[in-house]
Amino acid sequence: MVSGTTIVQSLLSGLLEGGDYALYSLGLAFVFGILRIINLAHGEVVVLGGYVAYWLLVKWGVSPLLSLPLAGLAGGAAGLVTYRVFLGRVRQAPELNTLILTFGIHVFIANVFLQLWTGDLRSIEVDLLQRPLSLGPIRASVGELLAFVIAVAAVLGVQLFLSRTRAGRAIRVTAIDRDSAALAGIDVARVDRRAFVIGGVLAGVAGPILGVLTHVSPGTGGPLTVKAFILTVLAGVGSISGLIVAGVILGVGEAMTVTFLSSSLRELFGFVLFLVILLARPSGLFGQKA
Amino acid sequence: MRPLFAKVRIGEGTAALAVFAAVALLPVALSFNPYYLSILVSALVLGAVAIAWNVLGGLCGQVSFGHAGFFGVGAYASAVLAMKADLSPVVAMPAAGLLGVLAALLIGLPAFKLRGPYFALAILGFAEILKLVALNLDDVTGGSQGIFGVPPPPPLRLGGLAVEFAVSRTSNYYLAALLLLVVYASAVLLRRSRAGVAMATVHADEEAAAGIGVPVLRTKVLALSVSAFFTALLGAFFAHYVHYLAPDSAFDPSWSIMPIVAALFGGMTTLIGPAVGALAITGLDEFVFKRLFETGHQLFFGLLLAAVIVWAPSGLLGGRIRRPVGRSAA
Repeated sequence: MVSGTTIVQSLLSGLLEGGDYALYSLGLAFVFGILRIINLAHGEVVVLGGYVAYWLLVKWGVSPLLSLPLAGLAGGAAGLVTYRVFLGRVRQAPELNTLILTFGIHVFIANVFLQLWTGDLRSIEVDLLQRPLSLGPIRASVGELLAFVIAVAAVLGVQLFLSRTRAGRAIRVTAIDRDSAALAGIDVARVDRRAFVIGGVLAGVAGPILGVLTHVSPGTGGPLTVKAFILTVLAGVGSISGLIVAGVILGVGEAMTVTFLSSSLRELFGFVLFLVILLARPSGLFGQKA
Repeated sequence: MRPLFAKVRIGEGTAALAVFAAVALLPVALSFNPYYLSILVSALVLGAVAIAWNVLGGLCGQVSFGHAGFFGVGAYASAVLAMKADLSPVVAMPAAGLLGVLAALLIGLPAFKLRGPYFALAILGFAEILKLVALNLDDVTGGSQGIFGVPPPPPLRLGGLAVEFAVSRTSNYYLAALLLLVVYASAVLLRRSRAGVAMATVHADEEAAAGIGVPVLRTKVLALSVSAFFTALLGAFFAHYVHYLAPDSAFDPSWSIMPIVAALFGGMTTLIGPAVGALAITGLDEFVFKRLFETGHQLFFGLLLAAVIVWAPSGLLGGRIRRPVGRSAA
């Protein structure tokens, strides 16, 4: 019999983890929403950010919170190189080509990680962040709570950027109607590049959080990309703030699967959820009907 | 003025004839060296899977990042049917192909209902799920321990001559070559059929295809099913050839990645191109990349995929074959 405390505990863990899922997915959702490019190398950029924080901590004792901006920078640089060298040259090509292209980059980066840093799972361990806080029998670590706050802040930040700033509005207008945007004097090629780099920064920033809460390894990126896509579809393409709700649904659902069924079925939940959305509500929770 | 080297254009049939002649004679040229033969068997298996992948990718225009799932299902199904249900591998292998079709329907029917990249992403996760299933169904699959002692195909009696598949690399090589031929011939027949024309139409323009009455969903699901059948069949051959299965080997992501590299490198607009690509990249892998790096040599293939898409989307043969099968990847 599962006790009430266990249920409340797994609800809370699922809720907190859901926020992190939203953060891990932000870069992919942003790029897909704006450019209609699915970046299959998204997970690797998150992992890159995680490695940056890991090595900064191990070599120089830099706190993962301080390495957040550097991880973002690394992600942005990866995005810029990817766009300049490859993606920017095939903007007119069919979707299938872009998919294969980013899939190739995913395979490439994952194997570069393997080459440089072996297949070991690397966790970023900092005492302060691991410290447990408890409210009666319910527990959460400082890191988990902080990560949730950062995740919500990041999602709201992107939302505000898109709605309140000039650059953000230019990006939105270009996403809605390229030709009109170009006629209105917006440099659409530059907007594309900028949006892709922002996607890289968002992915990179998520890396240290991932490393603190779980671990990073060459094999972490692929499944992360799939999860990010599931969240993007669940939220509805183009809905950034919907990611939080979608993340919480996935996080709580996984936690409940583990509590009531079996931990080996955990990964199955997201997938079943994905198939259900595709069949029942393909435009997602907050997306416009296609 | 004529260019110095006019671009040679050959027919699909001529190219295929050359490939199969080379496949038939290569073992002789290598004086049946078992080391080279084992590399060539992998190349042939990859070639057949790549042609199957390309029925979906090149002909119908739907890219799959999860063919390892079908390969693994085929390998496990055939091994289990042969060992637990005492079926002869001759029966178990095609039955395993049909289970591959079942897996294809499970993922294809929901994911193809929507236009766009949903299928590509769904199947990426699906292959992982199938691997998890194999890991967790301990009673049937032996979990992470895997299955030992998968029996070889039964000996073939040709008059007084008995061809065995337990040890001989040569007989396994020619069995793989035969499978390659079967997959290729089926792809050719499919392309000439009404269904094949429908697939090419869906590839060229989905909306227009729907407009002239092509059943888009059914066409895509059929392409996926054919592709999954042959991929699972080759997975089954793999099981009876290596005699040992584990989730990590049967569902190795390589079986998703390498067929794409082979098809794209050889030319997705041709039917024989993927086999040529498979032979070429297996050679590159064995004799160049693996010597440079012991692990992670797949990084070259990732880069190759990206580079071919950007700078040479028609691949090795794409520009040289008359009457391409679908729209050029470019």
